[in-house]
Amino acid sequence: MKKLLLTSFGFFVTLCSLSAQQLDSTSQTPGTKKFFMPGAAVAMYQLNSTSGSPAIGSFMPVNLALFPLVKASDRLFLDAGLNFSVNPDGTVTPSLIELIAYYRINHWMSVFAGNFSPHYGVYLGLLDDYTNRFGVGVPPVGMGHGLQNENGVGIQGGVQAGYSKFTYQLYIANGPQLTVDSTTVGSSNQSGKLDYGSILDNNKNKSIGWHLGYLPFSNSCLELTFSGEYVGKTGPAGSALENVSALSWAVGLNYYHIFNPIMVRVIGEYDKIQVGNANYYNPDTSLKNHVYTFSNQQNGWFAGATLRAAGSRRQFLKNLELGGRVGEYTPPTGALWGSTPINQTTVALTEYVKWDIPVTLEYDILTQSGAPKQNILSAIIFFRF
Amino acid sequence: MKIKIKLLYILVSALIVSTAIMNACKTPEAISSKSGAQLWGENCNRCHNAPDPSTYGDDQWEVIVEHMRQKALLTDTEIAKVLDFMKTANKQ
Repeated sequence: MKKLLLTSFGFFVTLCSLSAQQLDSTSQTPGTKKFFMPGAAVAMYQLNSTSGSPAIGSFMPVNLALFPLVKASDRLFLDAGLNFSVNPDGTVTPSLIELIAYYRINHWMSVFAGNFSPHYGVYLGLLDDYTNRFGVGVPPVGMGHGLQNENGVGIQGGVQAGYSKFTYQLYIANGPQLTVDSTTVGSSNQSGKLDYGSILDNNKNKSIGWHLGYLPFSNSCLELTFSGEYVGKTGPAGSALENVSALSWAVGLNYYHIFNPIMVRVIGEYDKIQVGNANYYNPDTSLKNHVYTFSNQQNGWFAGATLRAAGSRRQFLKNLELGGRVGEYTPPTGALWGSTPINQTTVALTEYVKWDIPVTLEYDILTQSGAPKQNILSAIIFFRF
Repeated sequence: MKIKIKLLYILVSALIVSTAIMNACKTPEAISSKSGAQLWGENCNRCHNAPDPSTYGDDQWEVIVEHMRQKALLTDTEIAKVLDFMKTANKQ
């Protein structure tokens, strides 16, 4: 199998080299270094009404983000993102969004390295800041609990195949780390959860991640994706939990079309995380047996649609978009942090003041068996600069 | 480990086979004759509103389009045509 793998890689590298030669013969001379740093700021007012409790409204400056982008040459590109989130006590916490160096090998492939957000499910970029047509007041429960930022290397690109188009990403990364907590009592105990984005790996094993996108129509109006990540070891090296594996996968759909004068968009995703069985320790002193295990599987889905009078002559109507979304997240019931499924219904009305400055009124209903119903109204302005 | 190697082999093989198929496919005239303006509308609207070309200058468009190559995994041809359109249309 290893020989086959090496042969495949050899063939693959040869293909890349041939294509790189083609690129050299047609590409322009290297350009001068170019730098650009757009940014974004989000502020909102949120009214949270939980059954049995008084409704509480708060004005919230949510965060400020900066995106330094550097085109070092025709082939070399640096993509970074820094976030400054405002905490409930008013303090600011800086964090890294992404830090990726890309090198374009040929017409259809770039190699990248650094801290990146994998193309997973409906790519996070589709539901991020000004691209989010359902508001950013309450994140969709059906996504965001899976893959997060990774540290690693990979290849990606897009290729035309007749009338259709393919997009792909393949990477190797540090992978997620299994959370093991033997001291916290109750639902705050996160044992069995996967922690992503650590720059120091906890074992020698690396994760493999992939994304395959298929755009069957010539106008790229429909994209179907299948993506995932597998890691053979998530526990600390040398520990009894080292060999606990994890498989995450997701399918996504993004479709838009203008049925003049209305533009319709449909977005959906189903994702699943399967972590290997393991024994964990519950420190609760009231228990006789502290060792427990559970089926560590969780899944989520969401489906949403938007309508927009894109063909209207009135600018206000043309820039107004109505969105509706339903979703569900099912955590593992046996985990200390687990619970019954959470359902979400979202209605959002967005007016685009500029192409990248949406003002959104979002209403979310969160229901969960055994927990009070939550109604959350968010008024959000997203300012891209 | 065996599962991991098998998985990697399947992925790499799929990539190679699909690459070979795609290279064998001749791009139809309807695709190759698309203008930069058309590609700008189709590809930008996949995820967000298509920005007006006058929003940015030439140097900024060069950086932004390169950024979008990686985020939206656009093809070389799409990138070249869209960039050319942006750099022309932002002066009109």
